[in-house]
Amino acid sequence: MSEEVGEENGLPSKKVLGLFALAMINVAAVLSIRNFPSMAVYGWSCIGWYILGAVMFLIPISLAGAELATGWPQGGGVYAWVKQAFGEKGGFTALFCEWSNNLVWFPTVLSFIASTLAFALTPALANNPWYMFSVMMIAFWGTTAIAYFGEEASTKFGNVGVILGSIIPAILIILLGLWWMGSGAALVLPPLTFAAMVPVINVSTLPFFATIILLFAGMEMAGFHALETKNPQKDFPRAMALSAVIIVVCTVLATLAIAMVIPANQLNLASGVMQAIEYFFKAAGVPWLVGPMAVLITLGGVVSLAAWLIGPAKGLGIVAEEGNMPPLFDRTNKYGAPVAVLVIQAVIGSIISLLYVFLPSVNQAYWILSAMTVELLCIVYVLVFASVIKLRYSQPNTPRPFKIPGGMAGIWLVGGLGMFGTIFAFIVGLMPPSYFTTSPHTYVGSVLLGTFLLAVPPLVFLKFKKASWLKPAGGVR
Amino acid sequence: MTQYTRLELGLLVFLIVMTLVPMGIIFVAVAESPYYLVSGEPVNDALQATGITVSSVKDFTWNLPGATGGRIYVLTDNSGETVTVATQSFDSAESRDAAVRIYNTQSVGRGKPVGSLIVLGQHLVYVTPAHSGILERLAPELKMRFPPQKGL
Repeated sequence: MSEEVGEENGLPSKKVLGLFALAMINVAAVLSIRNFPSMAVYGWSCIGWYILGAVMFLIPISLAGAELATGWPQGGGVYAWVKQAFGEKGGFTALFCEWSNNLVWFPTVLSFIASTLAFALTPALANNPWYMFSVMMIAFWGTTAIAYFGEEASTKFGNVGVILGSIIPAILIILLGLWWMGSGAALVLPPLTFAAMVPVINVSTLPFFATIILLFAGMEMAGFHALETKNPQKDFPRAMALSAVIIVVCTVLATLAIAMVIPANQLNLASGVMQAIEYFFKAAGVPWLVGPMAVLITLGGVVSLAAWLIGPAKGLGIVAEEGNMPPLFDRTNKYGAPVAVLVIQAVIGSIISLLYVFLPSVNQAYWILSAMTVELLCIVYVLVFASVIKLRYSQPNTPRPFKIPGGMAGIWLVGGLGMFGTIFAFIVGLMPPSYFTTSPHTYVGSVLLGTFLLAVPPLVFLKFKKASWLKPAGGVR
Repeated sequence: MTQYTRLELGLLVFLIVMTLVPMGIIFVAVAESPYYLVSGEPVNDALQATGITVSSVKDFTWNLPGATGGRIYVLTDNSGETVTVATQSFDSAESRDAAVRIYNTQSVGRGKPVGSLIVLGQHLVYVTPAHSGILERLAPELKMRFPPQKGL
C-alpha cells in the first residue's frame, strides 16, 4: 500500500486511503445481510420501498456528502461540514449525536454478532448470557484494539472484512437465487407486474416507511477519514458513487433472491436472519453452507461495528484537538489513533452491553433504545442537509470539485428531500407500536428525554471551554 | 505523569453519566415482563373475546433453542387490513429472553426491527405490522388478561 505523509491540525497523518478503501468504509457501514429477510417479506414491493429509500435518503446523502467532503476535506466528517455552516455548536452537536447514537446501538450489533456466531457453533449458546457477554466484549474490545493501531490497520481489516463478511455472502445469495430460477424450481413470488412493485403506504406502514429512509444511513462514514485520504477531492465523489452502486445492487438482488425462494409466511423475522438463511440454503440444496455463512455474516457484523466505532471516534478526536474538549480527550498514540476517545467509548459501551444482556425481560426498553438511535441519527442528517444548502449561500465561492448539479434548484431539491425524509423519520419515530404496555406519554417522554440527554453534552463542553485546551501547531500543548 | 484539572475530570464524569442516565431511566421505568406460565393460548382467547376475524391459523415452531411451539394467525377486518400474529412459547426465561434479544438485533438499517414483539408470560407474540387497527382492538384485551408487572 503506498503511503504519503501530510500534516493536518499540527499532527502528521498518513495518507493511506484511496478510492477503493473509502468506498469499502461506506459499504461496511451500510450493507447488512440483516436487512435482506426483513425486506424480502414485502415481495416485489421491496423494489418500490428500496426506490423510496434511495430517492429520499441514499441519493441525497451521497450527493450532499460528496459536495461537502470535496469542498471541506478537513478531518472530522460531519463535524467539519456542519461547523462550516452553523459554527462549532452545530458541528459538535451533529458529531456528538452520531457518536452517542452508537453507544445505544453497540449492544444491538454486538448481540447480533454473538448470536450469529452461536448459530455456527451451537445455537443453544445464545441462551447463555455469559457466552453472549463474553463474545460481545471480545468483538467490542477487539475492534477497539484494531482501531488503536491506526488507519492503516483498520483499512486492511475493513477491506478484507467487508468483502468476506458482506459482499461475498450477498453475492452467494444472489447466485443461489439465479440458480434457483434457472433450475426450474417453483418461485414463491407471483409474476412481476408494475402494481406488485408499488409499496402500500398507509397509517400501518408509516413506521416502516420511516425505517426505510434510514436503511442507508452511514453513507457519510468515509468523510471521517478525510485526513488519511490521498486525494479527497477526486476520490470522495467516486467512492460515494461506487459504494452506493455496490450497496444497492447487493441489497436489491439478494433480497429478491430470498423473496423468490422462501414463502413470506416462513420468513419468521422474530427468529432471526440465520433462520431465514438456513431455510434458503437448505432449499437450495447446500445446507453445509449454513455454518460457513454464519461465520461470514458474523465477520460482516464485526466490520460494520468497526466502521461505526472508528469514524465518529476519530471525529471526536478532531473536536478535542481543536480545543473544544479538554486535553484528556485528545490523547492520540503513535499510530494517530484517538486512544482516549476509543477507551472511553469502549468502557461506556461495555456497561450498556452489560445491562442489555443481564437485565431480564425488558423487551420494551430495547424498543425505546432503538427509537432513540433513530432520533439521534435524524438530528445528524437534518444538520448535514441544512449545511449543504446553507453553505451554497454563505460560502458560494469555496471551490467544490464536486457540486450537486442544477444550481440552487438542485441543492434545494436534494437537500430538501433529505431533510423532509429525516424530519418525517424523526416524527414517526415517536409513535409507539399499537401494543405497548408503557403509556404513550412515558414512551414519547423517554425517547425525547434520552435523545436530549445524549445530544446536549457538546453545549456543556463549549460552555466550559478554555483557551489552554487548544493544541498548538506541532501537537505539543 | 499528566495532571488533569478538576474541570477536566468533572467533564469526563459528566460525559459518562449523561450517556448512561438515559439507559438507566429506560431500563427502570419501562414495564418488565417476567417469565411465568400462562395456561391456554393467549392470542386465541383474546381473539375470541374481541370477535376479530381469523382468516387462517396453523401450528408453527420457531427454529430457536427452547421454543416449544406456537401458531401463526392471519387476521383481517372489514376494511381489508391484514395482520399476521405469530405466537411461540418457550421452556425457560433464558430461552425466551434470548429470543427477545435476537428479535431486537434484526433492525432494518439503523432503524427499528420490522413488526413488534409482545412478551406474555412464557409466550412471545410477534405481530406485523406493528401499527394497525386490528392490533389496537386486540391490545386492550391482551393488557386486561396480562397486566403490566412494573413500570410507569
